[in-house]
Amino acid sequence: MFYQPNVIEEALGLKAELKDGGTFIAGGTDVVVLMNHGKAAPENFIDLTHIPELRAIHRHDGALELAGNVTYAQAGKLPVRCLALASLSVGGPGIRELGTLAGNLASASPAGDGSTALLALDAEVELTSVRGARRLPLDKFFLAYRKTALAVDEMITKITVPTTYRSDWSKNGKRGAMNISIVAAAVAITPKKETRIALASVAATPIRCYKAEKFLTENGLNAGTIRQAAEIVRTEIRPITDHRASADYKVHLSGVMVRRLLENLVKA
Amino acid sequence: MKKARKKTVAANGGSLWPLRFTLNGKKVSAKVQPTQTLLDFLRIEMGLTGTKGACLEGECGSCYVLVDGRPMNSCLMLAPQAQDRTVTTIEGFAHNKKLDVIQQKFVECGAVQCGYCTPGLIVAAKALLTENPHPTREEFLVGMEGNICRCTGYNKILRACELAADEMGLKKK
Repeated sequence: MFYQPNVIEEALGLKAELKDGGTFIAGGTDVVVLMNHGKAAPENFIDLTHIPELRAIHRHDGALELAGNVTYAQAGKLPVRCLALASLSVGGPGIRELGTLAGNLASASPAGDGSTALLALDAEVELTSVRGARRLPLDKFFLAYRKTALAVDEMITKITVPTTYRSDWSKNGKRGAMNISIVAAAVAITPKKETRIALASVAATPIRCYKAEKFLTENGLNAGTIRQAAEIVRTEIRPITDHRASADYKVHLSGVMVRRLLENLVKA
Repeated sequence: MKKARKKTVAANGGSLWPLRFTLNGKKVSAKVQPTQTLLDFLRIEMGLTGTKGACLEGECGSCYVLVDGRPMNSCLMLAPQAQDRTVTTIEGFAHNKKLDVIQQKFVECGAVQCGYCTPGLIVAAKALLTENPHPTREEFLVGMEGNICRCTGYNKILRACELAADEMGLKKK
C-alpha cells in the first residue's frame, strides 16, 4: 500500500497503525536505491513529500527551526556556514532537491554530511509520534552503526540549529562532485568560545571529538593549541580501512583537516 | 497544525495508484504501480524513452527530469510522488518542431557522442539557466555536477551551455 498524507498527524497515525510500521519515504535517495538493486521491497510506504509543513523553515532569535523534510537544496541557502557548505557538498543538484536533512539523520550513515554539520552545531531534534513529541540533543541520537534513538513509531519533525555559532566545513573524497567522503569535518565556535568538532567517515556513526573540544575550550584557540588538538583528534577516532582509503590515511587526514579548519576560523 | 485535512489517498496492496499530474504541459491521469519509479513509469507506461536509466542510484544524472521546474533524479522517485506535480521530460523541450535553445546549441557544438547522458545534461542546464541566467564557469560546473558523461570530456557540453546562456540573454534584451 502507498499512503500520501497531507498533514503530519495523519502520517504518524499510519506509522503507529501499520503492522510493519510502514516505510517513510521522502527523497528516496536511500530506500529507492535499495529497491532498484533488489535489496529491499517495503510493502507499505508513507510518502512525506506532500506534507507542506515538513518543508518549513522558521527563524527564531538566534536559531533556525528546520522542519524534517527541508532538502539539501534548501539547507544550502541557509546562513549557517558549515550546514550550507555540507549540504552543497552532497551529490548533485538532483539529489540535493530530493534528499532531506531528516533522511540523512535517520539513515545514520557514518558518512552523513548533513548529520556531521548538524552535530558540530549542537543541533536538537524533535522526535514525534502519536504518543507525543520529545526533544533530543543530536549527540544523543546516533547509537551505533546505522542505529539511532528513533523509536519505530517516531518521525524527525524538527531540527533546531543555532545561527550564533561561527562554523566551517571541509570534505575530502576522490572527486570534486557526487562524492562520498573519505573524511569530512565540521568545526564550530559557540558564542561562549567553546569549540565543537564533528567528523564523518571515521567511526561507526558521525562523531564529535569531545577530548579535543575540551582541550581547546580549556586552553583557548591559538596556533599551538590547535596543533595539539589535531593530535588529540587523531587518537579519538577509529576509522576502518575500506575501498575509499586506509585507516591510517583517514587518521592523518582528520588531523590535517581539523587543524586547517580551526586555523582559518581563528584568522577570520 | 492544520485541522482540515484531505482524505488520505491510499492504494490497496496489489491495486494501482490513481496518479494525476501534468506531464510536458498536458494533464495526465493514469493507474500506476505504487512501487514503480517515475523513470520506469515515464519510459514504459508513457513511452517517453528520452529519459534514460543507467546507474539507478542517483550517481549519473541520466534520468533527470524537471519536477516543478527543479532537476530531480526520476530513478529515485516513486511514480505516485509526482501526484499534482508538473513534470517536464526532454520530450517537452521542443515546441512546434523547434528545438529548445539548449538543444540547438548541443547540436551546433557537437556536444553529443553516444548521446545517453544528453537528455539529463540538457535538463540540468535548463534548471540552472532558469534559476541563474548568467552562470559563471564555476556555477556551470556546480549546476552540471550531477551528470556523468563518459564520452566527451565535457568541454563541448560546457561550450554549448554557455552559448545557450548567451543566446537566451540576447533574446531577453
